[in-house]
Amino acid sequence: MSTTEHARRRGADEPLPASLDRRFEAIVFDWDGTAVPDRAADAADLRALVEELCGRGLDLVVITGTHVGNVDGQLGARPAGPGRLYLCVNRGSEVFVAGEDGVELLDRREATPEEEAALDAAAAATVEELGRRGVAAAIVSKRLNRRKIDLIPEPEWADPPKARIAELLKAVQERLGAAGISLGDAVEIATTIARSAGVPDPRVTSDAKHVEVGLTDKADAARWAVAELARRGVGPGLTLVAGDEFGPLGGLPGSDSLLLVPEAAAAVALTVGAEPSGAPADVLALGGGPEVFLRILADQLERRRRGDVPELDGSSDWTLAVEGLDPALERVHESLLTLADGRLGTRGAPLFDHPSVERAVLLSGVYTGDGSRTELARAADWSRLLPAPGSPAPPLTRRLDLATGLLREEGPRASLRFSSLARPGTVALRAATNGGAVVPPSRHDASDAVNVAVRERQAGPIVDRIAAYDVNEKAAQAAVELAEAAGFERLLREQRHAWASRWAGADVVLEGDPALQKAIRFALFHLMASVGDEGEAAVGARGLTGPAYSGHVFWDSDVFVLPFLAATHPPAARAMLEYRVRRLPAAREAARELGRAGARFAWESAADGRDVTPPSVRLATGELVRIRTGELEEHIVGDVAWAVACYLDWTDDEPFAAGPGRELLVETARYWASRVRRGADGRAHIYGVIGPDEYHEPVDDNAFTNVLARWNLRRAAAVPGVDAAERGTWLEVADALVDGYDRASGIYEQFAGFSDLEPLVIAEVAPKRPIAADLLLGAERTARAQVLKQADVLMLHHLLPEEVPAGSLVPNLDFYEPRTAHGSSLSPAIHAALLARAGRYRPALDALRIAARLDLDDLTGSTAGGLHLATMGGLWQALVHGFAGVRPRDGRLHVDPRLPREWNALELSLRFRGRPLRLRVDRRGVSASPDGWAVEEAPDHWEVTPR
Amino acid sequence: MKKILIALDNSPAGRAVVAGAQALALLLDAGVEAVHVHEDGDRTARSTAEAAGVPLRTVSGTVADRLVEAGEAGDVVALAIGARGTAAARRPLGSTAAAVATTLAKPVLVVPPDGLEAPVFRSVLVPLEGTVSSSLAPRSVFELAAGAEIDVVALHVYDQASMPSFTDQPQHEQRAWEHEFVQRYCPWGITGVRLETRVGRTGEVIAQVAEECGCDVIALGWSQELAAGRAAVVRETLERSSHPLLLVPVRRAEPTSGVEATDAATAGRVQP
Repeated sequence: MSTTEHARRRGADEPLPASLDRRFEAIVFDWDGTAVPDRAADAADLRALVEELCGRGLDLVVITGTHVGNVDGQLGARPAGPGRLYLCVNRGSEVFVAGEDGVELLDRREATPEEEAALDAAAAATVEELGRRGVAAAIVSKRLNRRKIDLIPEPEWADPPKARIAELLKAVQERLGAAGISLGDAVEIATTIARSAGVPDPRVTSDAKHVEVGLTDKADAARWAVAELARRGVGPGLTLVAGDEFGPLGGLPGSDSLLLVPEAAAAVALTVGAEPSGAPADVLALGGGPEVFLRILADQLERRRRGDVPELDGSSDWTLAVEGLDPALERVHESLLTLADGRLGTRGAPLFDHPSVERAVLLSGVYTGDGSRTELARAADWSRLLPAPGSPAPPLTRRLDLATGLLREEGPRASLRFSSLARPGTVALRAATNGGAVVPPSRHDASDAVNVAVRERQAGPIVDRIAAYDVNEKAAQAAVELAEAAGFERLLREQRHAWASRWAGADVVLEGDPALQKAIRFALFHLMASVGDEGEAAVGARGLTGPAYSGHVFWDSDVFVLPFLAATHPPAARAMLEYRVRRLPAAREAARELGRAGARFAWESAADGRDVTPPSVRLATGELVRIRTGELEEHIVGDVAWAVACYLDWTDDEPFAAGPGRELLVETARYWASRVRRGADGRAHIYGVIGPDEYHEPVDDNAFTNVLARWNLRRAAAVPGVDAAERGTWLEVADALVDGYDRASGIYEQFAGFSDLEPLVIAEVAPKRPIAADLLLGAERTARAQVLKQADVLMLHHLLPEEVPAGSLVPNLDFYEPRTAHGSSLSPAIHAALLARAGRYRPALDALRIAARLDLDDLTGSTAGGLHLATMGGLWQALVHGFAGVRPRDGRLHVDPRLPREWNALELSLRFRGRPLRLRVDRRGVSASPDGWAVEEAPDHWEVTPR
Repeated sequence: MKKILIALDNSPAGRAVVAGAQALALLLDAGVEAVHVHEDGDRTARSTAEAAGVPLRTVSGTVADRLVEAGEAGDVVALAIGARGTAAARRPLGSTAAAVATTLAKPVLVVPPDGLEAPVFRSVLVPLEGTVSSSLAPRSVFELAAGAEIDVVALHVYDQASMPSFTDQPQHEQRAWEHEFVQRYCPWGITGVRLETRVGRTGEVIAQVAEECGCDVIALGWSQELAAGRAAVVRETLERSSHPLLLVPVRRAEPTSGVEATDAATAGRVQP
C-alpha cells in the first residue's frame, strides 16, 4: 500500500469540505499535534508525503516552538525540489530550509547580550512572583531568545501527550486557582515583569503547562512565511494554514492563533485539533488530529499527480477578469489579456476558436516585409484547443493575474498558461481537454521567420504543452528541451518567482484610490512584459500586444517607456538603448544622405533602422494625404540622446557611458551641429521640422526641437574625451540656437510664426477634450490655427525641466493647455504630470485617469490592435515625476511631492545607481527603505542619497 | 419560395419600384409579386406589372393595412414601395409608404420615382453609426443574400458628437481603427467589406458617398420611428439620394454563434 493510499484510508471516513476541494501552492502548518501526534511518533508517512509534494512543486512551511533538531530528527525529509520545505523553529527565531543535503539555516533572530540578560531576569522574577503568590514554578529551559517556565513541575505531568490537553489544563487551572490566579493572570504577570526587566516587546505564550517569555513567537514565523512565499509569487490566497490550537485555551488565545497574521487573511485556515473551547469562526474545524492532516496532504498530492490545473491567487486587486465572450469587444479583451515575457507576446484569445477571435503570437524585433510595409512577423499559435467532437465550446471566464503573468480560463474545462518571464520565448499551457484536442501550432498564416518547437504530454484529460520560439530552429529546439526537462511545475514556480521579483522592484502603491491603483498595475504589468532585458529590445508602439503600428519603433520607446525601466529594471532600458546602438550605422547613413554629419535616427524604425514611415494615408475624412513625419519629425534624434541621459542618470552605468552611450550622445550632437543654419540675425536656426504637435508641418525653429538639440549639444560637450574643437563648436551652436522664449511673458513661441496663427482656443470650441481637432476642424484649418495635438513646448518642462527658465511652467501651461486638443494618446499623461507640478490637482487627476483608462476603456477605439505602451509609460512618469516629484539629479534623488488631497500616500519601488529603494511620499513627508538611504529635508524639497 | 412583394399603386413611380424589386429579388434569390390595393382603378398598376412580367394581385381595403397584411405573409422577405411620385414633394416618404415601413417588421425597399435604376444590385452602401445594435440590422439581408456576389461598402460618418478623441499617428491609427470597426460592426459573415469614413452630417454624406462609390442601393438600419425628431438620417437620405433605399428594422441585439457568455448582461465585461 502506498503512503498516499495509507493516509487516505486512515482518514477516509468523511469527504473533505468544499473549501479544500482545490489545489494549494503552499501549506503552512504547526508541528506537534497537527503533523505528528507527539514527538516520539513515527513520521515516515509524513516524510514520504512531504518529499513527493515538494517534488511536485508544493511549498511546505513548518512553524513550531521547538528547535530544529527535534523537528528534523523526527521528520527527516530531504526534498529535492522544486517545492521547498521550510522549518520555522524556536518559536519564530530561526528558519531552516531542508534539501537533499540536509537542513540549512536561512534566518536567525540574534538576541543582544542585553536582551539575553533581560530574559533571564524576567524568567527569574516571574518564578519568584508566582512563588510569592503560592505557585511553585520552575525555569525548565533556556531556549534561543526565550525562557520556559513550568507551571506544574510535577512528575505526573512531566511530558503529557497532546491528547491529554484537557486534563492538563484542568490540573494547571486547579493549581493556579488554589493560589487565586488564572492562567491568563500568570501570562499577564510574566508580561509585566518582562517589560520591567527590559524586554520592550515581550512575546509571552502558554501551552497550559508552561509560560514562555521570549523575543519572538509564531506570529514572526508566520509573517516570515507569508513574505517568503510572496517573494516567490505565492500569495496567501494560494496558501493553506493548518494547526490544532486556534481556539482559546484556559482563557488565552490558542498557540496557533498566532499563525493567523493579518498578512495571511486570504489563506484558508483549518484545525485538526480537539479545540475544547471551539475554533474561531474563520478557521475550518476538522478535528481528527494528524491523521486528517495527512489525509489533506495526500489529497493535495493526488491533485498534483493527476495534473489539476493550478489556481490563481484570486485577489481582485491584481486580477483582470473577462467574463464570457463579447464578439464586439473580443479583440480589445485579447489585447488587455496579452501574455508576454519581453521577448514573445501572445494575445489573450480563448483557447477555443470563435469567429471574433484575432490571435497573434509576436516575437520581439522579428519583422517581415520591406520599407513602410515592414511589420512584426506572425508566429504559429501555441494556445488553441478544439472542443471534443459533438460538444460545443464551453462558456468561459478569463482571468489574468497581473502579479504572476498567469492566464487562467475557467469553466467546464479549466486551463492555465503563461509566457515564461524566467525563460523568455518559452511558453507553457496546462489544459483539461475532456476529449478535445490541442491544436498543433500551424504554419498557416505564420511567418517562416519564427521557429517554434513544441513538447506535449497528455495524461488522461490533462494536457501539458511547452513550446519555445526563436528565429533559430536549433535554439528553439534547445530551449524546449530544457523547458521540458524542467517540467510544467518547475516552469510555473519560476514564473511566479520571476514576476514577484519584478514587482518587488517596480510596484507603485497608491493609497486612496483602489480603482486607479489597479489601472496603474495593469499598465506596469504590460510595460514589464513588453520589454526584454537581454541583447536588444525593439519596442514597438504596441509592444507585443497586437499587430497595430506594425511593431514600428517611435519616440514612444525612448521617451515614454524607457524611463520606467531605467528606474526599475535597468537591463531592460539598456536593451532598448542597445536597439538604438545597433541602428547607428543606418542613422549615420541617413544623415550622410542628407549631407549632414552624425546620426539621424528614423522617426519610424524597425529591423535595419532605416525609416519605415508609411508615405501616405487615407484619413477619416476620406482625403488621401502625404505623411511627412518620417521626413521632418527630427526631434527623434534628440529623443534618443535624452534616453541615454535618462538611463545614465538613474544607473550611473559607467561602461555604457564610456562606450556606446558616449557614441550615441556624440553622434546625435554632431547631427544637430550640422543641421542648424545661420540666419541673417546671426543666430542658429533649425528650419523645416515637425514638433510633437503634428498638426503643424513643416515649421521653423520648433521650440521643443531647438531646446532639445541645444541640450543634446551641451550634454555631449560634457562627455569626457570629446575633441576640444568639436566641443567648442557644439557649445557655440548651442548658445546660438534660438528658442522662441519671450522673457516678458515667460512663454515660448511653439515655432516661428505660431503667434500669427488664428487665435483659436480649442477648449472653448470643441464639444469635448480629448478630441481629434484635425477631424473636427479639418486638417487645413487646424494647421492655420493655434491648436495643438499634444504637449509641445510643455514637453520641455516635462523632459528637460532644468533647461527652461524657473517659473516658466505656469505661464506656458496657462497658454498652451487650453489650446491643446490632446488628440494624441501621449498627451493626457504628460499634462497630468505638469498640472500636478503646478498644483492643479483636479485637472491633473482628470488627465491621469484618461491615461490610466485609455486601454481598459478602449478610449481610442484601437486597443484591439494592441495596447498603448507610451501612455502606460507616461502614466508612470506622471506619478513619479509629476505627483511624487522624483528626479535623479547629480547622483541624488530630488523629491518634491505634489500629493492631491484624495491620496494618502504614494510608494514607489525604484532602483537608483544599482541599489533598490522604496520611496514613500505621504502627508508627513518623504521616507526611504531599506536601510542605507539618507533622506534630508531641504527648504523646498527632499534629497535622497545612498549612505 | 421566398419573394419580394411590390406595392404597386397608380403613380408613375411604379416602373422604378418594379425594377428595384427585381434587382433585390436577384440579390436575394427570390421571386417577385405585385399587390395593388384597389382605390380608383388599377389600370396603371396592371400595365406596369404586365410590362415587367410580374404577377399582380389586387385587393381592396385600407391601403397601408392591406399592404402590411400582405407583407406579413411567411414567404415575403421584403417589400418594395415607391417614394411619393410627385415632383413637388421631392422624395419624402408618402403616407402609405411611411405607414408600411414603420409597421412591417421586414426590410422595405423605398424606391425614388426618378432615381437610378440598376437591373442588378452589385454594390450596396451600408451606413453604420457604430453601435452593436444597429450594426446587426443588415445581417438579416446578408443572410438572405448568402452566396450572392455583391460588394459591401460600409460607411461611418463622424459628426460633432461622435468625433474621435485621438488620431495619434494616422498612417497606422486609421488602419487599425478601420480594421476593428469592420470586425466589430460588420458581423455579417461576409468577407471583403470595405469601410469608408467621412466627417460631416450623416444625412448629407450618405447620398454623396453612394454616388462616389458607385453603389446601387443603400441599406440603412432604422428603428421604424418616424415621429418628429426621429429618423433624421432616413428622411434626409430619402430627400437627397436617387438610390433605392433598403430600410432594415433594427432588431434586438442577438448573440452570434459559437462561444457565448453565460450571462448576456455581463457578457464580455472587464471586471471591474
